[in-house]
Amino acid sequence: MIIKKLIEKVEGEANLSFEFKDGKISNVDIIFNIYRGIEEILKGKPTRDALVITPRVCGICNHAHLIASVRAIEDGLKNNSLEFTLTQKAKDIREFTLACELIQNHIKWLYLTIYPYLERLLKIERSDNHTLKASYIANTITKAMAIFAGQWPHSSYAVVGGVTCDPTYLDTIQSLSHIEDAIRFYEKVVIGMNLDDYLAIESISNLDKLGGDFAKLLYLLGKNEFAKIGKSFDRFISFSDSHISKKAKSIITTVSAVELKFVKEYKQKDSFAKGVKYKNRYFEVGPLARAMINKEPIVKSLHKKYKDATLTRVYARVHEVALLLKQTKEILQNLDVTQESCVLDSKIDINNITGIGTVEAARGSLIHKLEVENSLIKSYDIITPTQWNLSNNAVAAKAMIGLDSEDIASFVFRTFDVCSVCTTH
Amino acid sequence: MSKKPKLLWLQSLTCNGNSHSFFNHSDLFSILSHFELIHFPLIDTKYTLEDVLNKRVNCDILIIEGSIKHGLEKCGVDIATLIDYYANEAKYIITAGTCATFGGMFKEYDSDNINGFAFDRDKAIDNFSKFRKKLISLPGCPIHPKWLSYVLLMIANKKNIPLDDKNRPQELYSITVHTGCVRNEYFEWKIDTHGFGHKEGCSFYENGCQGPFTRGSCNKILWNDVSSKTIIGTPCFGCTEPDFPKERLFFTKTNMGIPQKMPLEVPKRAYLTITGVAKSFNIKRLERKLIEYNNDN
Repeated sequence: MIIKKLIEKVEGEANLSFEFKDGKISNVDIIFNIYRGIEEILKGKPTRDALVITPRVCGICNHAHLIASVRAIEDGLKNNSLEFTLTQKAKDIREFTLACELIQNHIKWLYLTIYPYLERLLKIERSDNHTLKASYIANTITKAMAIFAGQWPHSSYAVVGGVTCDPTYLDTIQSLSHIEDAIRFYEKVVIGMNLDDYLAIESISNLDKLGGDFAKLLYLLGKNEFAKIGKSFDRFISFSDSHISKKAKSIITTVSAVELKFVKEYKQKDSFAKGVKYKNRYFEVGPLARAMINKEPIVKSLHKKYKDATLTRVYARVHEVALLLKQTKEILQNLDVTQESCVLDSKIDINNITGIGTVEAARGSLIHKLEVENSLIKSYDIITPTQWNLSNNAVAAKAMIGLDSEDIASFVFRTFDVCSVCTTH
Repeated sequence: MSKKPKLLWLQSLTCNGNSHSFFNHSDLFSILSHFELIHFPLIDTKYTLEDVLNKRVNCDILIIEGSIKHGLEKCGVDIATLIDYYANEAKYIITAGTCATFGGMFKEYDSDNINGFAFDRDKAIDNFSKFRKKLISLPGCPIHPKWLSYVLLMIANKKNIPLDDKNRPQELYSITVHTGCVRNEYFEWKIDTHGFGHKEGCSFYENGCQGPFTRGSCNKILWNDVSSKTIIGTPCFGCTEPDFPKERLFFTKTNMGIPQKMPLEVPKRAYLTITGVAKSFNIKRLERKLIEYNNDN
């Protein structure tokens, strides 16, 4: 028996086709069918134009695409023995705006995707306030970010050699106020406790201190078997070093090095999205992968008990917001505005280069590869996080196999924070 | 039964950026309180996308996001035909963003088959004559949330919106992005910003800023309530214009050191005369750094 479902409100739509055998899901085909041809559009364009074009891959993680793109060009210049080092200021500002984008993303996922669909699935009373909460954070955090990036979505403020902005302390102080507003929201509404006290929790046995919407969510998930279902390969990967991740993989909790050359894309039948594997194996990317690789104590503690079940995966994403909020505050408190914003001349030639840029986006590692010949882009390849998680037979599919209801499976699917527009691009 | 206008937001070929941009609006809920929300890509309503695809809903205001691609289907439903159906039913049609208005970024992939709803770049197509009486064009990549809320609230308050020849609201698009830019003093005295990453200087001369000839109120109604591209030293890329995206977006094309494209409707001779005079003064204050962080007093 085959049951088809249209999954909407996942940054576009996905079509799931569930195959049932003996009352249980035996296979899931995940089909994304809107293709925009961004990689084709990039061919033949002047290199720097990629910084304007690639953010348009995605309305919710456009900034991650910008940073991946600028890193790919910078990597290419370095491969051509151009020597330069970004100032700490430029690096910090990029990390800050990136962290802001992740925060709005995770909070929107919590309140616009997870809560409404869980309430519907469990047939419990629905709260109208979810959208209000998501809107408050989206508005607050993008203000903090736009002070540096000019706007969100679709900023192109990261340029080759640094950033275009040259903030004053007036800017950093105003931005900090918005971050403090976001922290207050997270403390009062999401975790129901002080941020530092929360971050000090290292084991499940101390989670009873947790309150707010997060505690309620964990209770609902635990009570409804989500601590047992949704398990996948238990293999995790990340390709970018940052505050929340390391370039490494984790297999059965053993963390080891990775090399980009082992990443291979492949075409999938009936879908515009390409699949991707590392050394011919599927890996999960995203907040749970980052936490496992970074050995985040509380996530490791949950994983020890529940493995990579839906509960652990959901926990890791909401938890990551705490890490990011603390990071954004620290960056702003320590930002030295007196350093240079951009260390390279705006007119340096980008003639013939090959480069790779990686970034930890909300949903996991994002990889941009480009080849430039005679100052024009010859090829551009984008590997998005959702390609890792959502390809057929890959991580999300495995997490759904064996379940007995397509509605429960669809919820498990949503816990991966699906992005349809990124997957196909 | 609610008598509020029914608002339907339909997506075609898009990145969702306009939905997310509008969702950032600081007064989102007071704006939405004037309408019955039938469908919006980020907010749960009582209708599903399948209801929308199967024409089980009605609308008074249709918001279109994304470029129109012939043959594009969702669940077997032809999206161009569906948009046409709701466009006929709606009292107002708003094309939200440059993709829906002129074709935008994604038209680059398959120019013959991808257009705006009523325009192929700057050329009006059939839908323009068919729907011009109820069409409001809101180009921008993405739309500015407050431009859309202005249009929605004007409709809710039964006010007439003055439009230009492409049905863009004059109150939003009669000025250029240059209007209100904090770097205007540097523009007046023709002082370049000398690369990226400086508070000082104007991006029009070398960095490709299209603000002086791009219609839009980005520097009158700030982005995210706090800033804009040109304020933080990123050039304006002309994202509200029918020919977005052009090429070499970080460079100004010049003729003998003078930008090739003039500020909107400014004759080259007038510009050259002013430039010569302005540059001859060598104003020291504008050549210096604005702030010296390292002095000891």
